[in-house]
Amino acid sequence: MPQFKLPENSRVQPGKTHPAPAGARDVRTFKVYRFDPDSGEKNEVDSTLTFRRSCREGICGSCAMNIDGVNTLACIKATSEIRGDVKIYPLPHMPVIKDLVPDLTNFYAQYASVKPWLQTRTPAPPDRERLQSKDDQEKIDRPSACILCACCSTSCPSYWWNSDRYLGPAALLAAYRWIIDTRDEATGERLDDLEDPFRLYRCHTIMNCAQACPKDLNPAKAIAEIKKMIAERQH
Amino acid sequence: MAQRARPLSPFMHYRWQYTNTLSILHRITGVLLSFGFLLLVYWLAAAAAGADRYAEAVAKLSSPLAQLVLFGAAFAFCYHLLNGIRHLVFDMGHGFELQTARRSGWAVAIGALVLGFIVWLVIRGGMGGVA
Repeated sequence: MPQFKLPENSRVQPGKTHPAPAGARDVRTFKVYRFDPDSGEKNEVDSTLTFRRSCREGICGSCAMNIDGVNTLACIKATSEIRGDVKIYPLPHMPVIKDLVPDLTNFYAQYASVKPWLQTRTPAPPDRERLQSKDDQEKIDRPSACILCACCSTSCPSYWWNSDRYLGPAALLAAYRWIIDTRDEATGERLDDLEDPFRLYRCHTIMNCAQACPKDLNPAKAIAEIKKMIAERQH
Repeated sequence: MAQRARPLSPFMHYRWQYTNTLSILHRITGVLLSFGFLLLVYWLAAAAAGADRYAEAVAKLSSPLAQLVLFGAAFAFCYHLLNGIRHLVFDMGHGFELQTARRSGWAVAIGALVLGFIVWLVIRGGMGGVA
């Protein structure tokens, strides 16, 4: 069932204001979501804002968050692109561990569930790797560029409301990457696993995912291709 | 230390882009259509019930409010139809480039308004050209 309101314990309350130091120039207002899991007990304010970050160049995917209403990587989003106050929230519709850090356990489990590794039945050539043509490699080139930041999945209303059963754009893009890999020999089983009203078909081609992806990938198209492959193999 | 239960992060503030806007509009027009068809049934039933009942129905449907509702139904029908075709093309694996998807989205929205207006005029004509 679509849900439009946050649960009682998740409603956002007005927070603290930290004024700019006197004489500061080039001042921007930031409105940042805060949640301190201990504050109910400790009754004190944690002065450090908690968020994940690592590479500062858009390749690790750690600092994915909702900035100015859309999901993106904080490290490559310039404040100059944003008009007015800079509003920052954690990735939408996720359990919050602290401040801007969401719990991605389910997201990672869904990624693991598509078996994102090469599955083969035939023995590997004894003297070399399993080769593929340049063209075949190019097919998986783009989908392999996914950094699992979760911007796409958490931008998807279908995922918000069915993340317990719908795999979401990120996991499905990963599934697609292995389905079209010419070296992989489990294509049939992979499609079998996805042929499910929820796991795959909760995608209604809204396309928030492709709109959000900081790596300019297109999970929506990948999902459409999977649906097509399932439809085509029935004939 | 006991911790507070993890809150659910806010999501209803997500920016309205052409993607989610067109999608929710498809749902809404789909629901409205079910009510719109009740109007159609009412009109047809009135026509089957004879000239007096039909004249009465046309009089009711000629009020400005009813005309607005009829235009809404015509728009809902045209939008749902055109966006449905857009989604059929998506299902065939085409039109996913962001620029293309944006253009097709705008085409559907504007097309539905224009086509809806035409259908509305046809309905008015069909009801005996109520002015």
